[in-house]
Amino acid sequence: MAQTRILLGVIGRPHGVRGLVRVVSYADDPASLVAYGPLSDDKGRRLRLAWRGDGIAAVTLLSDAGPVAVADRDAAAALVNTRLYVERDRLPPPDEDEYYVTDLIGLAAEDEAGRPLGRIRAVHDYGAGVSLEIAADGAPPLLVPFTRAAVPSVDLAAGHVRVHPPRVLAATEDAPTDAATVSLAEDAA
Amino acid sequence: MARSVWKGPFVDGYLLNKADAARASGRNEIIRIWSRRSTILPQFVGLTFGVYNGHKFLPVQVTENMVGHKFGEFSPTRTFSGHAADRKAKRG
Repeated sequence: MAQTRILLGVIGRPHGVRGLVRVVSYADDPASLVAYGPLSDDKGRRLRLAWRGDGIAAVTLLSDAGPVAVADRDAAAALVNTRLYVERDRLPPPDEDEYYVTDLIGLAAEDEAGRPLGRIRAVHDYGAGVSLEIAADGAPPLLVPFTRAAVPSVDLAAGHVRVHPPRVLAATEDAPTDAATVSLAEDAA
Repeated sequence: MARSVWKGPFVDGYLLNKADAARASGRNEIIRIWSRRSTILPQFVGLTFGVYNGHKFLPVQVTENMVGHKFGEFSPTRTFSGHAADRKAKRG
């Protein structure tokens, strides 16, 4: 369920009196926001940004009549909260076994027998590997690590992923009430 | 204040048993734990834990770089996933 336009940032408050604006970039590398070429907004207008400082950019509106630079504070104020989009096909192709998060979200998840498990609602990455959150109506979300073992196949064209949910080993039944401390000396031995 | 070295790293004892069981089984398993306070030990490397964040069990795939950290560090309790934008996810 790939989107055709990707939200990459939003224009914030004006900066100074010469038409500069603050820009909040959602891009993985914030500075790469301008690397994708002209951006578009909700109204279909096309804009080009040029960085003038850390998070500060000059905006040029692109129209059939030609480019018009935003040159004063009032014009910059009119752009506040403008969302900046880029067409999905302008993003470079990812490496092998790498996927854009926006492509993964919304894909249908099936188990190995082809039974539906739900749809991918979120992709988490908190420094301990990527995991997929699969949500289905009336069921708690299923969280699976994004590994070859747990997600053997990803078919973006068909719009689904094949999931082999890992077996859950709950640590409740023999969880002691007290904690153990492992000594470094014992560990080394 | 740092923990005294002579005490060794803290870990809830049952995690060691579960880790041993998961490693012995050799299967694709997630060990669900509530012990966010436990230190990640070298013998946990390669295993996947589901660490409770008060809401759900987030998968934590333990790697060598995580040894010495606590499980809770990798399962935030307050999350803002942000915008997908051009972020990429690599399949491990």
